Amino acid sequence: MRLKLHASTLALAAAGLLAPGLMLTAGQAGAWSLEEAAKPFAGTEVNVLFLDRPGYNAIKQMLPEFEAATGIKMNITTVPYENALGEQVRDFVAGGDIDIALVDLVWLGNFAENGWILPVETFTSNPALTDPDLDMADFFPLPLKAFGEWNGTLYGLPFDNYSGLMFYNACMLKDAGFDAPPATWEELKDVYGPALTKDGKYAYALQSKRNETQSADSFARMLWPFGGSFLTAEFKSNLNSPESQAGLQFRQDLMKYMPEGIVAYDHSEAVNALAQGDVAMLTEWSAFYSTLASPETSKLGDCLAVAPEPKGPAGRKPALGGFSLAVATQADEAERAAAWLFIQWATSKANAGTYLEKGGVPARQSAYADPKLAETYKFIPALVESWQDGVPEFRPRFAEWPAITEIVQEWGTKMMLGEVSVEEGAKTIGEKMEAVLAEAGYYDGKKPLAQ
Amino acid sequence: MTPKVSRLTLAAFLGPAVFALAVVGIAPMLFAVWKSLHFFNLTKLAQQKFVGLDNYAAVLTDPVFWQAMGRTALLFAVSVPVQIAIGLTIALVLHRPGLTLWKTLTRLALVLPMATTYAVVGLLAQVMLNQKYGVINQMLGWLGVAPINFIGDPQNAFIAVILWDIWQWTPFVALVLLAGLSTVPPEIEEAAKLETKSNWTVLRHVQLPYLIPSLVAVLILRTADTLKLFDMPFTMTRGGPGSATEFIAILIERVGNRQFDIGMASAQAMIMLALTILLARLYIRLFYREVR
Repeated sequence: MRLKLHASTLALAAAGLLAPGLMLTAGQAGAWSLEEAAKPFAGTEVNVLFLDRPGYNAIKQMLPEFEAATGIKMNITTVPYENALGEQVRDFVAGGDIDIALVDLVWLGNFAENGWILPVETFTSNPALTDPDLDMADFFPLPLKAFGEWNGTLYGLPFDNYSGLMFYNACMLKDAGFDAPPATWEELKDVYGPALTKDGKYAYALQSKRNETQSADSFARMLWPFGGSFLTAEFKSNLNSPESQAGLQFRQDLMKYMPEGIVAYDHSEAVNALAQGDVAMLTEWSAFYSTLASPETSKLGDCLAVAPEPKGPAGRKPALGGFSLAVATQADEAERAAAWLFIQWATSKANAGTYLEKGGVPARQSAYADPKLAETYKFIPALVESWQDGVPEFRPRFAEWPAITEIVQEWGTKMMLGEVSVEEGAKTIGEKMEAVLAEAGYYDGKKPLAQ
Repeated sequence: MTPKVSRLTLAAFLGPAVFALAVVGIAPMLFAVWKSLHFFNLTKLAQQKFVGLDNYAAVLTDPVFWQAMGRTALLFAVSVPVQIAIGLTIALVLHRPGLTLWKTLTRLALVLPMATTYAVVGLLAQVMLNQKYGVINQMLGWLGVAPINFIGDPQNAFIAVILWDIWQWTPFVALVLLAGLSTVPPEIEEAAKLETKSNWTVLRHVQLPYLIPSLVAVLILRTADTLKLFDMPFTMTRGGPGSATEFIAILIERVGNRQFDIGMASAQAMIMLALTILLARLYIRLFYREVR
């Protein structure tokens, strides 16, 4: 271990010492290269958790190229989303071997406040390690800020990027006399709902299973477009404000146009309902486009169409979710450098096109510049539009979210089932949420009001 | 006369088992007891501190904990008697003479539900009970029954968990009771059958006394299993909808693994352990006396 640290420290020091030389060489030869930057770290192993989702599978397909160019060995462990947070927290607490943190936007505050991840500036300040063409300005500002930035410091680069989109069965809508999807949530409920809910088919599905799906995809989705939010500026509950109540009540009213048992629908059930022609419209993460477009998993074919989520009285404010990759503090010097080189490569401008082609959704604006892409990837125009008008704190990203989401999941579901009224449910969530925040020290100035 | 065995030999035989038990059972339990006396949240390690019995006080006054306990008790009160009734019936049928091949095949078939991983059982339930595409609703449809919302309705979800638990664990009860029936001396059983034609009388006065140890074992094991029932409902309903199937083990997992409050979850687990030991002692005291 001592030898390993010593060797890796030497490697990094060598890289640092060589930096001016490399820059000179770069200046002379005209280019920074991944191969040269990675030379001191060849043979380094980097450990990271991945999910079994299209974006991760895309990078896995591209990985041989990275490993061949750098000599860095990537050890990828694939886990279900539900386990990813616990696996990483336990690894970081125990001083384990994860070198790259996979950070869901709602885990960002938790990871950053605990010092488990390093600021990006640690590496961008080292020209030997950083691609001059990294071009931060090319990232869409919303995912960069929401997925990677905590309290003014950038920790991760957006990697697996989602926005909520409206997927719909254009053929079903056409048969019911609609040429376009609803522009507003009210229109969806009052016009499209009655027209499309008939003969065992339903107008809309809102995945609401009691897990993060209930908090993110169901509860939060109806808060923001109606002007509501989880918290006020003083971090008190805002769930009983007229706007939040309007959104949550709207969700109740909309349920009559959703399949029975919608509280048991997770992403797979909801996507399947649209794919099999049982529902006409679905608001779902952009990442599910490939599932809905593939003839192997969907009957939709040319009937599949995509639009941004409908607008509410407060604007569009669509569901926002995604993951960044950040270098773990617990990694040794060589692992940190190798991890950064991987993150930089995986999220680079140069690779964004291939990533998209293989099923990923890059957060690079340049990747979507070619208007012809929209012919192949129908979701692109809607996605680009959605990333113009989102809320970074769609779900608060502080360390207390794991406790709060459990409360929302329990009482949000009870609300939908009619076990408590919308008002009572919101009041209970608010009280419990404030108790968690009080204990954390937000009300006595011990913690900054960052979300 | 029993030859004297040296203490060293005894220690050599018992030592590995005691050591293994200490490492995998006692040490983690003592660690959990210690942590239950602390505020210990994995995401707030800087705030770690000794809080005495505060966690226990919080658990014992938490309505959510008692609601989960109530659900677990209801699950136990409904499913275990049904498992014993059906299991005993199966055991008595298999205990009858004749049809050796069929009985062997039945015994083999009885092992299958128990041998299936709990989490897989839950996943199977989720697929089979799906309202739209599940095979159960399809079969009910053949009988003219409208599709039932098994997983999305709180009451139905609870009933579904009970039915699934009965399906998985009745064979275990049947096999244990069948083993118990084999301890009844055949001459006594035959004599009893000559005295009366009533199977009930034979069961009540001859077979049942011999079954008491097996029944106590079933009760103790099923109580412990029910209190720690996690994998199946977790993969099937994840404790929902709402809190309809949030049994005590699911609640503890939620607090420990999702809220990372290890101190509180340890206190909950200790209370559950105490309850399990208490119930086990109670069963032995109430029922076991008869055959001692």
